[in-house]
Amino acid sequence: MFPGAFPAGAQDRLLPASIPYRFFGTAVVLHLAAWAVLLAAAGEVPGFAGGLGPVLAALHLVTLGVLAMTALGAAFQLLPVATSRALGPDWACRLSWWLLAPGVVALAIGMGTGWMTALEGGAVLAAAGLVVGGSLMARTLAGVPGLAAITRPTWLALAALLVLAGLGLLLVWDFAAGLLPDHVRVAAVHGLVAGYGFMGSLALGFSTVLVPMFVLGQPVPDAIGRRCAALVAAGLVLAAAGALAGLGWLVVLGGTAGLAAAAMHAIALAKVFKGRMRKRLEPFFRLLLPGWAVLPVSILAGMALALGVPVARLAPLWGFLMVFGWLLTVVTGILQRIMPFLASMHTAAAGGKPALLSGLTARRPLDLHAGLHGLAIVLVAAGILAGSPLLVRLGAAAGLAGAAAFAAFAIELARRYRAHRLSSLSSSSSPLATTKDVRP
Amino acid sequence: MMTQTQTGALLHQDHLQTIAILQSLDELVGRHRNPPAVEGDVRNELQRLAATMRAEVEQHFGFEENHLFPEFMRRGEVGIVTMLTHEHRAILPLALEAADRAEAALAGGFDAAAWQAFRDTASELVEREIFHIQKEEMGLLAAISALLDPATDAALAETYGRVVTKPAG
Repeated sequence: MFPGAFPAGAQDRLLPASIPYRFFGTAVVLHLAAWAVLLAAAGEVPGFAGGLGPVLAALHLVTLGVLAMTALGAAFQLLPVATSRALGPDWACRLSWWLLAPGVVALAIGMGTGWMTALEGGAVLAAAGLVVGGSLMARTLAGVPGLAAITRPTWLALAALLVLAGLGLLLVWDFAAGLLPDHVRVAAVHGLVAGYGFMGSLALGFSTVLVPMFVLGQPVPDAIGRRCAALVAAGLVLAAAGALAGLGWLVVLGGTAGLAAAAMHAIALAKVFKGRMRKRLEPFFRLLLPGWAVLPVSILAGMALALGVPVARLAPLWGFLMVFGWLLTVVTGILQRIMPFLASMHTAAAGGKPALLSGLTARRPLDLHAGLHGLAIVLVAAGILAGSPLLVRLGAAAGLAGAAAFAAFAIELARRYRAHRLSSLSSSSSPLATTKDVRP
Repeated sequence: MMTQTQTGALLHQDHLQTIAILQSLDELVGRHRNPPAVEGDVRNELQRLAATMRAEVEQHFGFEENHLFPEFMRRGEVGIVTMLTHEHRAILPLALEAADRAEAALAGGFDAAAWQAFRDTASELVEREIFHIQKEEMGLLAAISALLDPATDAALAETYGRVVTKPAG
């Protein structure tokens, strides 16, 4: 896909481009699929309280197909750079994709249609892909001294990954067996461990590295990372125990710990912003900032749900705010920044003049995506609250159009990358000269 | 910045100074669509740019390429050296061109063509150099911490003191 890679030393940290981009490309495609399925199932969204069907399929196309897919691709590239530790063999990264990508597709088909073979096979494949990816991340993190701001939340995310995968397999098995005493409660725990535990902790840890890098600010202190991770862990245990036992007050206690973690993280990032050297914020922050703002709203919705506010409205609203409003918004913001960032790094590593980020990035599709995505979140959330399939349908249509715009951005990025590579190859330069020591 | 090394701390300080220059350069070209009169703040900015940009970039890059990168190469870290050196090759001519254009404007002012050329050069310089610093802050400084033993770090810091001298800004 990206010919002419630089000569790699044993400890080089820049992965072959085909590894992260297979994850990112899949995420872009499944992003489209998720909104399309949600559009088709718009009438079932208000009042959705779990169970097989296209709404569950759309949810997992986002959680596994976009969020986890992007997280693995980004983590494989980011963790070795941030920790200066080798990741593991390239084949294992590829294996993770080969398990996860078809697994998500099969799982979504199984969930959408009730075809149990696809559902069970897809679940096993997806869980295996996540475990392989998580093992690679654990191998990189093991023995890293310090850097608690990224390592603690990532370890927490990996622990959550094991729990969510186990519960996910259990829930899939239960669709056929019907032996769990309360399928809905286990599904709620699976959802909160997946959303706040796995993806939330990863987003928390990665943002402590990525945000200071992009705004050129001071890093988030390790002590904050440790405290945030501890609060999230405590919140997860309390909320999960409360959800399983049907004890609303325990869920509220867990949610309070989650809110405290979110506040601590927000204050830490606010300090990074305040002291940043790069004053002009890049466009992707228009997704990151509102995305993070939705996190406490989703926690509050979950707490209200636990306290017995009418389930028909709040259950789907909680899930939608957590997955689409918070995580999908943040992840598409990060994705639109790291895809050209990484592409430009590969043009530099491959030789020739590095491509400019602004030259690789098509702004108009991203402007469209930001507007349409925001509109989609507002309309679908309003549709759920009002019990209006029409509003949900309009929102999902806006989300689908936004996803198409995002796909156009990704396709244009690949085209511009190839064009830059071709022009670099055709004007292939002489060996690099060295800048001499200069004293004024 | 993720570094506990003397060398990393010195490079980070360099980055801070370069970013301060780039920041004001970015603001200067963002403030004026049409050629500004070269007086007051504009003159001060151009003088600062002409006096410091060339040395900031040449000395920083020279230290990395002649002293730091060979240590990386000895440890098998070819990829990061290749990538950063290619970026240096793209940035250095822009920094020199921006400094030259600033000097020319200090002598004769900006006409429309000269201002457009200055804006184009400055904008590309700001984008390339900030992107470069982002990568060095995240990747290079962490790699220095991970790869260099304390003795090599101290020797490099001593070398930095010999080859890098800060011009009066």
